[in-house]
Amino acid sequence: MDQMALTGIRVVDLCGSIATGYCGKLFADYGAEVINLEPEAGFSTRLLAPQIPDHGSAMHAYLNTNKKSVLMAELDKVEIAALIGSAQLVLDSGDTVLSRHCTAVRTSVVWYGEGPYQDFTGTDSQCFALNGMLKNIGTVDGPPIIPTGYQAQIMGGLTAYIASLTQVMAQELNNSQGLTHVETSIFEAMMCFTEVGGVAAYNFNIEGSRMGINRFPPTYPLGVFPCKDGWLGVTALTPSQWRAFCTLLDLEELADVELFQTTVGRLEAVDIIEPMIKEKLLLHSAEDLFYRGQHARIPLARVPTMEALFHVDQFNARQAFTTAETGDYSLTVPSVPFRLFTTPPYFGGRVATLGENTGEYVT
Amino acid sequence: MKALSGIRIIDLTMGWAGPLACRHFADMGADVIKVESCERFDWWRSWEATPEWIRDDGAEKSNAFNTMNRNKRDVTLDLEHPDGRELLLQLIESANAVVENYSGGVLPKLGLGYEVLREVKPDIILLSMPAFGSTGPWAGFRAYGSTVEQSSGLPHLQGDQTMPPVMQQVAYGDAIGGLNGSAALLTALRHQSKTGEGQFVDLSQAEAMFPLGIQGILHTSVTGNNPERQGNLHPNAVPHNVYPCLGDDQWLLIQIFEESQWVSLCHIVSDELAGFGGKAERLDQVAALDAVIANWTRGQEAEALMLKLQQAGIPAAMCLSSKRLVENPHLNERGFWQWLDRAAVGHQPNPSAPYLVDGERVSIDAPAPTLGQHNSEVLKDLLGLDDDRLAYLASEGVIGDKPRMPGIGSVK
Repeated sequence: MDQMALTGIRVVDLCGSIATGYCGKLFADYGAEVINLEPEAGFSTRLLAPQIPDHGSAMHAYLNTNKKSVLMAELDKVEIAALIGSAQLVLDSGDTVLSRHCTAVRTSVVWYGEGPYQDFTGTDSQCFALNGMLKNIGTVDGPPIIPTGYQAQIMGGLTAYIASLTQVMAQELNNSQGLTHVETSIFEAMMCFTEVGGVAAYNFNIEGSRMGINRFPPTYPLGVFPCKDGWLGVTALTPSQWRAFCTLLDLEELADVELFQTTVGRLEAVDIIEPMIKEKLLLHSAEDLFYRGQHARIPLARVPTMEALFHVDQFNARQAFTTAETGDYSLTVPSVPFRLFTTPPYFGGRVATLGENTGEYVT
Repeated sequence: MKALSGIRIIDLTMGWAGPLACRHFADMGADVIKVESCERFDWWRSWEATPEWIRDDGAEKSNAFNTMNRNKRDVTLDLEHPDGRELLLQLIESANAVVENYSGGVLPKLGLGYEVLREVKPDIILLSMPAFGSTGPWAGFRAYGSTVEQSSGLPHLQGDQTMPPVMQQVAYGDAIGGLNGSAALLTALRHQSKTGEGQFVDLSQAEAMFPLGIQGILHTSVTGNNPERQGNLHPNAVPHNVYPCLGDDQWLLIQIFEESQWVSLCHIVSDELAGFGGKAERLDQVAALDAVIANWTRGQEAEALMLKLQQAGIPAAMCLSSKRLVENPHLNERGFWQWLDRAAVGHQPNPSAPYLVDGERVSIDAPAPTLGQHNSEVLKDLLGLDDDRLAYLASEGVIGDKPRMPGIGSVK
């Protein structure tokens, strides 16, 4: 494509973490030139599970569509300095000396940043523990249930994209000049989920407690419930949604009970309401309830398994999944989650082999 | 001068995701004008408004609203009144972008669809962020942040096989949708600044969840099968669990990924641990292993253990409660909470943008606005209205600074 939204921006990733990889991915999929400056063994993401037989890491492929790979060892010091110095954005993990060559925006993505936790060995799950989320997930008696995967690092990468592009734009708009250093803390990025709850708990001196799986104050019904043939996600928040939900389940006798007109009231009465709701839900298919509920303006959801996710008509109609081409293997991956209509992103793309583009930067 | 000075955003959003998307621009110096109305005010002020709530100034006491809307200006315009709609279009004429998160079709019904906006401002950007996107068979479907999490399949990746799909939060999708909204709008603004071209930007908040469950999506993509839910077990880390500590509902997360971390843990806990052997042997006896560790943690304070284990290079973290976030020493030493005085609620903590620029916090210059706080400032200074006109608009109910019933909220 000739002119994409981020055409003209050069990004050099010196780190190759999941977080900088995701940050760089958003730049690359919208047309920036993103160069992975890799060590001889390649970035560590190449080792991540799941591995595609004979084609390397699926995670690395997802993170690295439309990027270039340059082997650092094959460039001399002057070439490395020139490459880094030519970038509008340099990504690192805060501890690389090569970033001294950066002349524009340097973004370091770190777990915690300077402070009492600065030397902690960080993990995704730790961020859920320290941001206050983990304690609220799971059965009343515990232990809390650990969220899976790389969620904190993805959030860190997304936050780094926002912070970095803001500073790149600031330079283009002449609102800022010269070297700018952005430090994105993955832990702080994860505070977006709990900052409101933290302020409320502070103001009202609420300690809070774990209420059980899929049960979160201040509302009910909210959760994932079994149906005849699958799982239905339910949220009935406003009085009108509650009434419509009762009608959907033939539970009109609950609709106008005064105590049940507020979310907090329903939560207080959960032991009365929930058995009745569960019994009715089991009489119907999740699919049927989902469509009838949505037409009655109730925010219901089908809760697909990973296998089913690839076959959801809405997602397929929107090309929500595409392919990352790694060698001769086509890996199904999510598309970029936001769409610019005039300057669309790449939908999927090639994944460069290690050092594939080195020659372009040897002078 | 802040990074995005000179950019103006018209913020028509409500709730969590949309206001969070716009908050980034307000923090970074853009002029973000939030548009509510006295009857259709931001439902994060309350979704259960009552006359008593209005009398008690409840609209100005919402922690949620106040946290999401700092650094913005607020005007009230009844968009169902011809004068309110006309004034909004005049505001848009001066703006770079409009952001909305109404249910699908609401904006066109108000005569404010993208084509109408383009007529008054040809280079305008419209960011629309409905739950399932603006196209496809579910485009008009309703959702909250909870619905979005459920629809993404993510709950099927949490917990173990005996549990229902496990959600992570009351509205997990909202913050993710909000940050993706910021990213989307920035991307479009960069194109606008380079070419002078605006465009329609579509964000599906459900699709924005997929990267959070990427390990499950990729597992199925590669193997064709659903990943097995393993509870707190981890294929590459043993032990890997949350252990009880001294006190009521106090917990410590411990994750051993490397053998050096295991050796350190054995040294700190007891020699009994070393008998569990290598990673494979430990996995075979994980229940017994967890019991030994739990016996050790149970009589000790979670925070002290976290610091002790981390000092030895062992990944560990206490499970904080929401109440302790404002007093967290790491966040406080970094100046994460910025304290500002705000009408109706007094001195309040405000969470900073989660990054430092040249070692400094991005300042929060103003607390969240009260309803219609900037009516006069914006309508007079920006649109040139005089006092008589403002008085007329107030008498017609087009503008105002107090909520009126009915004022219940909408969904995405």
